[in-house]
Amino acid sequence: MQNLMAGLLLIAIAAVAGAQGSSLSVGTLRHIGPGMIPLTLAAILGFIGVLLMLMWWRGDRGDSGRWPLRGPIFILGAAVVFGLTVRPLGLTVAGPLLVVVAAFASHETRWKEIIIFATGMTIFCVALFRYALTLPIPVAPWLIGY
Amino acid sequence: MDGLIDNLAHGFSIAVSLNNLGLCFIGVVVGTLVGILPGVGPIATIAMLLPLTFNFDPTGALIMLAGIYYGAQYGGSTTAILINIPGEATSVVTVLDGHQMARQGRAGVALGTAALVSFFAGTVSTIVVAALGVPLTKLALLFGPAEYFALMVLGLSFAVVLAQGSLLKAAAMIFLGILLASIGTDLETGEERLTFGFSELADGIDFVVLAMGMFGFAEILRNLENPESRDLVSAKIGRLLPNREDVKASIMPMIRGTGLGAILGILPGNGAVLGPFASYATEKKLAKDPSRFGKGAIEGVAGPEAANNAGAQTAFIPLLTLGIPPNAVMALMVGAMTIHGIIPGPQVMTKSPDLFWGMVASMWIGNAFLLIINLPLIGIWVKLLNVPYRLMFSAILLFCSIGIYSINNDASDVLLTALFGLAGYVFIKFGFEPAPLLLGFVLGRLMEEKLRQALIISRGDFMTFVNNPVSAVLLVISVGIIILAVLPSIRAKKAIALAGTDP
Amino acid sequence: MFAKFLKTFALMGAAVALTSGLAQAQNYPARPITVIVPFAAGGPTDVIARIVSEHMGKVLGQQLIVENVVGAGGTTGITKAFQASPDGYTIMMGHMGTHGAAPALYANLKYKPASDFEPIGMAAGTPILVVARKDYPAKDLKEFVAKLKADGDKLNEGQAGVGSVSFTTCVMFNVLAGAKPTRVPYSGTGPVINDMLAGKIDYACDQIVSVASQIQGGAIKAYAIATDKRSPALPDVPTSAEAGLPEFKVSAWNAMFAPKGTPKDVVAKLNDALNKALSDAATRKRLEDLGGVIPPEGAERTGAWLGDFVTAEVKKWGEIIKAGGVVPQQ
Repeated sequence: MQNLMAGLLLIAIAAVAGAQGSSLSVGTLRHIGPGMIPLTLAAILGFIGVLLMLMWWRGDRGDSGRWPLRGPIFILGAAVVFGLTVRPLGLTVAGPLLVVVAAFASHETRWKEIIIFATGMTIFCVALFRYALTLPIPVAPWLIGY
Repeated sequence: MDGLIDNLAHGFSIAVSLNNLGLCFIGVVVGTLVGILPGVGPIATIAMLLPLTFNFDPTGALIMLAGIYYGAQYGGSTTAILINIPGEATSVVTVLDGHQMARQGRAGVALGTAALVSFFAGTVSTIVVAALGVPLTKLALLFGPAEYFALMVLGLSFAVVLAQGSLLKAAAMIFLGILLASIGTDLETGEERLTFGFSELADGIDFVVLAMGMFGFAEILRNLENPESRDLVSAKIGRLLPNREDVKASIMPMIRGTGLGAILGILPGNGAVLGPFASYATEKKLAKDPSRFGKGAIEGVAGPEAANNAGAQTAFIPLLTLGIPPNAVMALMVGAMTIHGIIPGPQVMTKSPDLFWGMVASMWIGNAFLLIINLPLIGIWVKLLNVPYRLMFSAILLFCSIGIYSINNDASDVLLTALFGLAGYVFIKFGFEPAPLLLGFVLGRLMEEKLRQALIISRGDFMTFVNNPVSAVLLVISVGIIILAVLPSIRAKKAIALAGTDP
Repeated sequence: MFAKFLKTFALMGAAVALTSGLAQAQNYPARPITVIVPFAAGGPTDVIARIVSEHMGKVLGQQLIVENVVGAGGTTGITKAFQASPDGYTIMMGHMGTHGAAPALYANLKYKPASDFEPIGMAAGTPILVVARKDYPAKDLKEFVAKLKADGDKLNEGQAGVGSVSFTTCVMFNVLAGAKPTRVPYSGTGPVINDMLAGKIDYACDQIVSVASQIQGGAIKAYAIATDKRSPALPDVPTSAEAGLPEFKVSAWNAMFAPKGTPKDVVAKLNDALNKALSDAATRKRLEDLGGVIPPEGAERTGAWLGDFVTAEVKKWGEIIKAGGVVPQQ
């Protein structure tokens, strides 16, 4: 299955890039336009995709292993929640939220520990990033205005 | 030669003043710290610290800021080895074997080797900067668009050597990397390319966003899936410092890496990123058993780390002698110098010898500080691996997210990183490796830019790439590397095919 | 229990928001002010912003924090600042590109430079020079312009991409000189100068900070500086008027703006702090070391003057960019 899916993935990427880039002018070799490189690359990727599918067809299947969903959903979800909350609500909200959402990804999570850890990490990060490194990251706009 | 010794002596007399020693120390400590934090790079830190340096004299200020820069390079390797996250393009290679060493309980050895070879490379390249800085700028001027294009092609051919699995899939990742690099505003016409209408993509994808997603986030996902393999990291701690055998295996890679890194670092178009890749490819080619690479070969850490640090130092040459910053950090150093009333360029050395030689000397002092600070710290870093992974992964995730946000103060970068995390996870499942993709991404933008400039300047004549000796030689070497790498696998395929027809 | 907690929390938030709104005018600034700089850290605009912000922070008693938001010739950062709440806690460093040339270069620009901002005041401008490779066979600007007209697209002009200062100012120079060179795009002026040193690029237009040291060292030559007066850093470089192209007068100016609707007294406080910074000897020296030109005390330091100036700039660049045949991007 691995090579078949890999080939299809590349063909899909090539198709999306080709569609997105179709409006760009290719230009000439004397004066290359914005579309030349992306469209050429899309064509190459599509071609490799076809080769991979041929390999699968000729018996070189490959193995893509298990596909558990719990990790990707909660880990990437935690990052997404952080991204959506950090600007409006600040690190004091986005930080603990990230830790708590990410905790759902592991089956070893102990909730009491996570609450303490989330609080501690947030205080540490605010002190480190905002005050020690003076990065302009919002802390708690709803409370102190920045 | 006398002049060199006089100049260096003058430099040291300035750099060892209590004030400057202190600033250098603060610089490398802050640098190490931000280098270790995934995502927070030297750029954000130097930018934030710039106003603080207003009240210092320019030499002290620049010594401190330069210390942040190479301290961060150094700290970045620590993160790469311990948690498989390359903070910058130059530590992508360190990840490959460094993290494997950590998984085998050799984190201490990997970190110790990195520290020692970096110090060696730093010492050598300080002398290179001092002795050859001025003549070497001529080398930079040999590199026009056509030569850079050829150099980028050579760089991409390293990726074929880098590949551990299928060459075809590695090639696909290189091309995908270049494709990702082409996202954003077109250099010439200002049109938006492949941005799907998102204005956030108009300036292209940030390297850190891609690397954090492909390596950092994807690594967390893999570790959560296989608790057995990551527990190995913390179960065995092993020795903290390299033993005699490790040292023996590291010496030649270190010397070669230093040479490659130092030369590539001089090129003003950020040639320094190629150093570690070139060194890794060289070591893998020279090794008796190349299959050890990617599985914890110490040469794969020693060479690239030396190249990384050597390149970080010699990158100051185009800045100090031509006034041309080779990368974003150096562009910031230009800003730092101008804030202090020094316009970088060929005049700096004659007009402000204190600054020039003081900075050169401080580089060596900074490297010595880094060694002194970091050798004892290795024990602490390795102990950090004992933090239960159920807590560790959320801490890594939080640090990464804050770091990514702070690159552009843009929350959408965090969302984009999550997307690349997903992509990286899927790619690994399908047998694609992320390292060639990152190499393609790093070189892609410059490669397209230089290709187009070269063809505009030559008015469309492709002979421009072969007519001049530098680019012709580079292109011949690249073709050679690719053929050497591809031949064995084609032969193997033929053998299998023959065996198959003859049962 | 949880619901009660949420309710208290929401009430607290509302109370804070309300009081901070009321307290604003009298107690301004009560917390650090963010200055959005639409270009990368280390560039001329960023450096100028950091220099004036430092002293303004001292005057106002609150830190000014520079935030670099880069992209699309600076318009990404200005769009972000334009959408910020007009409470005086987010201001921006606008620029010749973002508040002058942008409307003519970007068809979908979300803001109108002349009417969507409260102008605080001009900070400093950096002069533009026409520079060429040192062995280019033209001894002065007149000869150079003649060569440009005769050789047409045989000449290579290096520029740092659509929307950059080198791009727009050289559009102006080319229009005035009647030149149609081959324009070679780069990703910054650093590589342009590098290729000029290597002899691949014939000429470029650039800010004094980026080229002064090379000119002093004789690595490249300058044909003219586009200001009224010669620069003390480069006393041998003639002004464009002296060199015979008096219409070529342009400066990469940087000025502070607040989002529209920022209270008048807050803008006045910011203007006062900016002008105190510009009059401070140490700050002045830093800016002048960069080749920066500081507006003289008086009318040119007011917000009203800046407002009129922006209107004129938008008109001027609109005409120049049209004459240069540059098509605005969607």
